[in-house]
Amino acid sequence: MTFLEIASISKSFGPVNVLKDVNLSIKEGEFVVFVGPSGCGKSTLLRMITGLETPTSGEIKIDGEVMNEVEPADRGTAMVFQSYALYPHMSVFGNISFGLRMAHRAKAFIRQRVESAASILRLESLMERKPGQLSGGQKQRVAIGRAIVREPKVFLFDEPLSNLDAELRVQMRTELIDLHKRLKTTMIYVTHDQVEAMTLADKMVVMNGGHIQQAGHPLTLYDDPDNRFVAGFVGSPRINFLPVSVKAVGGDTIGLSLEGSDRLTKLAFDGLDTDSDEMELGLRPQHLRILKDDEQALEQELLLEGDVVFVEQLGDVTYVHVDVSETSRIIVRADRKTYSGQSRIRAAADLSYAMLFGPDGARLRSRSLPTQ
Amino acid sequence: MKISVSATAVTTPRKVRAVSIWLVAKWIAAFLVALIAILPIWWMINVVFSVPGEPVSINPRLYPTSLGDGWAKISMVLTETEYFRAYLISLLYALLTITGVLIFGSMAAFEFALFEFPGKRTFFAIVMLSLMVPTAVTIIPTYLLTAQLGWLNTMQGLVVPGLSSAFGLFLLVQFMRSIPRDMIEAARLDGAGHFQIYWHVVIPLSKNALITLAILTFIQTWGNYMWPLIISSDPQMYTVGQVVGLFNSPLSHHTVDIVMTANLLAAIPPLVFFLIFQRKIVEGVAMSGTKG
Repeated sequence: MTFLEIASISKSFGPVNVLKDVNLSIKEGEFVVFVGPSGCGKSTLLRMITGLETPTSGEIKIDGEVMNEVEPADRGTAMVFQSYALYPHMSVFGNISFGLRMAHRAKAFIRQRVESAASILRLESLMERKPGQLSGGQKQRVAIGRAIVREPKVFLFDEPLSNLDAELRVQMRTELIDLHKRLKTTMIYVTHDQVEAMTLADKMVVMNGGHIQQAGHPLTLYDDPDNRFVAGFVGSPRINFLPVSVKAVGGDTIGLSLEGSDRLTKLAFDGLDTDSDEMELGLRPQHLRILKDDEQALEQELLLEGDVVFVEQLGDVTYVHVDVSETSRIIVRADRKTYSGQSRIRAAADLSYAMLFGPDGARLRSRSLPTQ
Repeated sequence: MKISVSATAVTTPRKVRAVSIWLVAKWIAAFLVALIAILPIWWMINVVFSVPGEPVSINPRLYPTSLGDGWAKISMVLTETEYFRAYLISLLYALLTITGVLIFGSMAAFEFALFEFPGKRTFFAIVMLSLMVPTAVTIIPTYLLTAQLGWLNTMQGLVVPGLSSAFGLFLLVQFMRSIPRDMIEAARLDGAGHFQIYWHVVIPLSKNALITLAILTFIQTWGNYMWPLIISSDPQMYTVGQVVGLFNSPLSHHTVDIVMTANLLAAIPPLVFFLIFQRKIVEGVAMSGTKG
């Protein structure tokens, strides 16, 4: 059942439209991650849910109740800020209990709530410290503690881990997942880091240019993106895009050739419906293989050839960056056996995993054949 | 010169010598400045704590010689003249002004620095413009207004016109602008109302700026001569500055050492204040400049 509903939300700051007709429904207990490049409107959307911004039009409902006119403190949301926003003049206890004290709750009640939050977050020994005496990770936990004591219906996180170093970030991520499992509260998390989004999310909402590009389980978005933006944004290293022309359309296959090449490769595709012949093919780096010197590409495989410009050797995998034409650079996933320092390589692409994108960036899906 | 020679003997020649001379010159300059600043105060102390007439006699002394005489003069000034009453009035005048300036200044700065409202820029510009206008220009209209209110020779007449401190507002706004917006929003989400945010978050965070403003206001009010002179013609409402003026006036029958006693007593509170808080003043002023 829908717990939090965002209906036709738009927001403009003066002449700038930050969000345009955004619709989204979130189930109770879901861990939702808004992800997108900076300026895509994800933080604004979060701030509207919590009431720090007012939507220009549209409606936000939490638990069936319209929240547009409700004060931020009364919405049942709690937010963790990127900067932690701890009050530097108060102790950890003072910070965590601030909201309860503002609500004039009984002292015993406050103590009990704060202590239980502190034990969840392992902050018991730090209660008398000031934020200035805490490490980044501890500050972040205090900020989460401040949210927990309010027992909100929805937790909101605005890029909470971006000020932490890489190792601590991974550790905090697992702690957040653990926290979500224990509290079972709806959580909405904003990040620009797609790896973070994929590891945390039950539901990943990819945003760009004020629109939701696609929402769904991270792996669904990875395997079956709706458009070129989502395909390019989800997955690391990035998916390769190759300009192709449709040379032949017949039955359940189409014939494609790479820009500047005559070799025709067949792609299983039923019902191509577009005016333009110029398309883009999306191929993930792991679906390409480097051919040995004497090896030939299979007939159903796309052949790519080019100069190696850059190699990332990460031990278990090797990412080879290759210029296949003046405008296209691709990444091929290899390993130490298959790549041994050649300056020019040939690679074959398995097209059963390929995705086709139209000139407007929309995904073209085959009618009958399910794409992988 | 001797220092530089000995320094050359120890380490590499030229560089060290240059540094030493520069260092010595700096010390001499600092010493001279300190001397110029301290000498008048020292002279006051010298004259007060001496047998009357001694420091200006044929055989003057540059150091106090009689503690007893000093105390006698101080108690005479405090008990036999209206000085003590003026002292209390000045103190009350300063404390009320500080309280008022801090309350009004911090409230206004809170709004100007952290919130948006229609006409904010215009209002702030007007307030800042008033910084450019010399006091001499506004003093007559302010006097007329105060007189019409019937506040001549009253404490409110003395205090109220000084409560709107454009400088104080500027100082506090600059400081409060450096408070992260996130913190204000976090407090809002925590259910703190407008006043609670002001009281529990912004005021404690602005402590240094408020202390700076309090000290500066104290020094300014204590030393304010013109406004009390205009507003209170009744000797019952005289401030320390005015009373010291009386002591110093050409027709005064007081001897030099009594006049000096009055001067010294008037100088003590700002001196004590400054000595205690000088680090805070420097920190506060520097902070308001760089952190904004």
